[in-house]
Amino acid sequence: MLAKGWKKKGCCSLTRERNCLQGQCCHGAPLSEQIRTGRVRVCKVTGDRKVCARMASMGLYPGVEADVICPERGSRCLLKVNGGTISLDPEVSQNILVTCL
Amino acid sequence: MQLRMALAGNPNAGKTTLFNQLTGARQHVGNYPGITVEYKEGFLRHAGTAITLVDLPGTYSMTAYSAEELVARDYLVNERPQVVINIVDASNLERNLYLTCQLLELGVPLVIALNMVDVAKSRGIEIKADILATLLRVPVVPIIARSGFGTKELLEACIATAREESTWDPRDLSYGEDLDTTINELVALIGTAGLMSDLYPPRYTAIKYLENDDQILVKGRQSDPDTAKKLEGIVSLSTEHCQRTLDVYPEAIIADHRYGYIKSILRQGVVSHAFDTDRLYTSDKIDKVLTNRLVGPLVMLLILFTLYSFTFTWSEAPVAWLEALFARLSDLIDGLLPDGLFKSMLISGVIDGVGGVLGFVPLIMFMFFGIAVLEDSGYLARVAFMMDRVFRIFGLHGSSVMPFIVSGGIAGGCAVPGVMATRTLRSPKERMATLLTVPFMNCGAKLPVLALLIGAFFSDNKARYMFLFTMLAWVVALLAAKLLRSTVLRGAPTPFVMELPPYRFPTLRGLFIHTWERTYQYIKKAGTVILGISVLLWALMTFPGLSVEEQAVFQGQREQLLNASQPAAAPVTVEGERKAAEVDPEEDMDASLGLRLAVIDNAEQEAALRNSLAGRFGTALESVSRLAGFDWRTNIALVGGFAAKEVIVSTLGTAYSMGEVSLEEAEPLTRRLQKDPNWNRVVAVAALVFIMFYAPCFVTVVCIARESSWKWAFFSMTFNTFMAFAMAVGVYQVGMFFNLG
Repeated sequence: MLAKGWKKKGCCSLTRERNCLQGQCCHGAPLSEQIRTGRVRVCKVTGDRKVCARMASMGLYPGVEADVICPERGSRCLLKVNGGTISLDPEVSQNILVTCL
Repeated sequence: MQLRMALAGNPNAGKTTLFNQLTGARQHVGNYPGITVEYKEGFLRHAGTAITLVDLPGTYSMTAYSAEELVARDYLVNERPQVVINIVDASNLERNLYLTCQLLELGVPLVIALNMVDVAKSRGIEIKADILATLLRVPVVPIIARSGFGTKELLEACIATAREESTWDPRDLSYGEDLDTTINELVALIGTAGLMSDLYPPRYTAIKYLENDDQILVKGRQSDPDTAKKLEGIVSLSTEHCQRTLDVYPEAIIADHRYGYIKSILRQGVVSHAFDTDRLYTSDKIDKVLTNRLVGPLVMLLILFTLYSFTFTWSEAPVAWLEALFARLSDLIDGLLPDGLFKSMLISGVIDGVGGVLGFVPLIMFMFFGIAVLEDSGYLARVAFMMDRVFRIFGLHGSSVMPFIVSGGIAGGCAVPGVMATRTLRSPKERMATLLTVPFMNCGAKLPVLALLIGAFFSDNKARYMFLFTMLAWVVALLAAKLLRSTVLRGAPTPFVMELPPYRFPTLRGLFIHTWERTYQYIKKAGTVILGISVLLWALMTFPGLSVEEQAVFQGQREQLLNASQPAAAPVTVEGERKAAEVDPEEDMDASLGLRLAVIDNAEQEAALRNSLAGRFGTALESVSRLAGFDWRTNIALVGGFAAKEVIVSTLGTAYSMGEVSLEEAEPLTRRLQKDPNWNRVVAVAALVFIMFYAPCFVTVVCIARESSWKWAFFSMTFNTFMAFAMAVGVYQVGMFFNLG
């Protein structure tokens, strides 16, 4: 049985952002350049395919909202997402585009 | 009834805590992700049912992104447990249910253990377990693994699920129009060919193909190359489509839909928040300070130095008591037993050997306690985060930090679990570089050697020198890693993504269990392996002994000495005179006669030791080892150290107790080394450098071979030994040139 009921509630952020992404309208800046703590929305995740998949499994994927806990401009970053705190190295932070909320 | 149950869940969700709680086992639990790298079995009995419980490594997904995920998935599909307990962190429900989705898709008989409901409650999160159970159609039991709350209900739910004996029931989630079409196409093909159908449901295999799961791709190619080719062709078209239209890979879409499914479940009254969900918790606020790029490293160094100060200050007195105790025991046996091989074996082999190792138990215990505090509080994970910055420079990975710490990065670990902990590294080259350099850390077995030599030659500032030698271990390990990564293991770095556990107050029970489990291992090793090796080395240092002619030469010297001191006396015996000299020094006899006899005894025993199998070997090496300042006795200890590093202290104890001159009482090894003309500060540092960095112990070498190959294990032995020797020679030659000894 397909668990489709949830789709009606519009929870799929990719579906929601599909048009935006097609129009190349992600105006976010790399997470590595974030210099202040606070809430951000992830608008794009690029880079190595397996790393993107692993981050998605840890709850970091386009459309998700997160808290930047310890920004270090150009360096690593601590991000609180879906209740967990994830540490990211400079390369990964560089590949995550975020917009401030 | 016999049941087989498995515990699956995210890293740090409390699987091992629950495992220990249910089985009464004492598996290592830490507030650090990735402690469990292979599954462990435990047994329990509940309501007349015998249960085998398996603790699987923590995973975020069921896709083969890391070794732990492979271990967990392979266990589930190959062993087919009757029930899988999915332990879910209630304070981080959304992320934890991501794995649940995949377990449901796999179709395993599932029971959800909603752990840490108390933490969730303190954060204002209320979870309606009954609604969650209805929506997911699996039993959900709230528990607190630490205290055991709810575990009885959990076991009953598990037994009830197992009794249903239903077949695996894979759940289908929708992944949107585009992907669902592709999945249906793949499922049809997989179903027709029966590809891996004995292990995975067809839809699950199809999703793993879309997620580019390496293991499934390889297995598919091996079992049915034609079908695999067709499947890969379809997946390739779909991936291209996703990239072109959405600029993402299919797995991102799959993850997004899974989270969407989870959100839809949670929004149906499962979760309610009493507080603002956006707020940062105390843990996050602490992180703002402790992981700050400037303040963080300073605090880290301060904490580590405090740990050393605490360890050395508090363990000083108990170590001295134990040392005195073993010396008294030695004296007691000396007085009780007649001279002979048995007495020699008891004193030189057992007491000096094993006692030398056991004497450091208080120090080891204090060090383990300190490490347990850091680990259980969650601070060690922050150390990994901060050290990643440094590790990158040397071609290592942030995930290499934990294997380093486990191996003795804070002094007192063990290289064997350290080597195994490298499994968490995905890049083979970074993993190999980590695997080859973790034995450079100061493991618990090297700790007694460090403590012994530092205590003997740098007793003024023991904690400071211990800290310095620990830093040296790190520096050498990192430089060696850089050398390896720039030569034989050249390759691009891989990204570092790790979840940091929240700070938690360590429980006293947990701290004592951790301290005891590690100390017990140390004591057990001293009483078994070290005892055996000590007795063996004693035998190698005792046999074949001196020939009759050589013994006659020493006997002649004694008689000559006695005759010279008492020319007119009736026939004398050596033993009678020695006793007279010792018992009644006020007599007419020369007071130093006893001492001179002892010097001859010492020379005889030294000649016997030199003539022994171990002595001959040590002497043969002396021409080379002299370059680093090591005499033949030290060589015996160093060779013995290959069996286990603790043996170095025990062998030095044995080698330096044979031929002891002192007439009064047995001296501790520290004092014997201080008095020995072959030892000084420079030799001590050269020896420490060599011991810290030469070939890993035998067990570690076997472990390296198992984790990589014998070629790398052999490389580890030779590379480490040559490098360590070159460093020791450098230290000795420079030190002696500047007359620092």
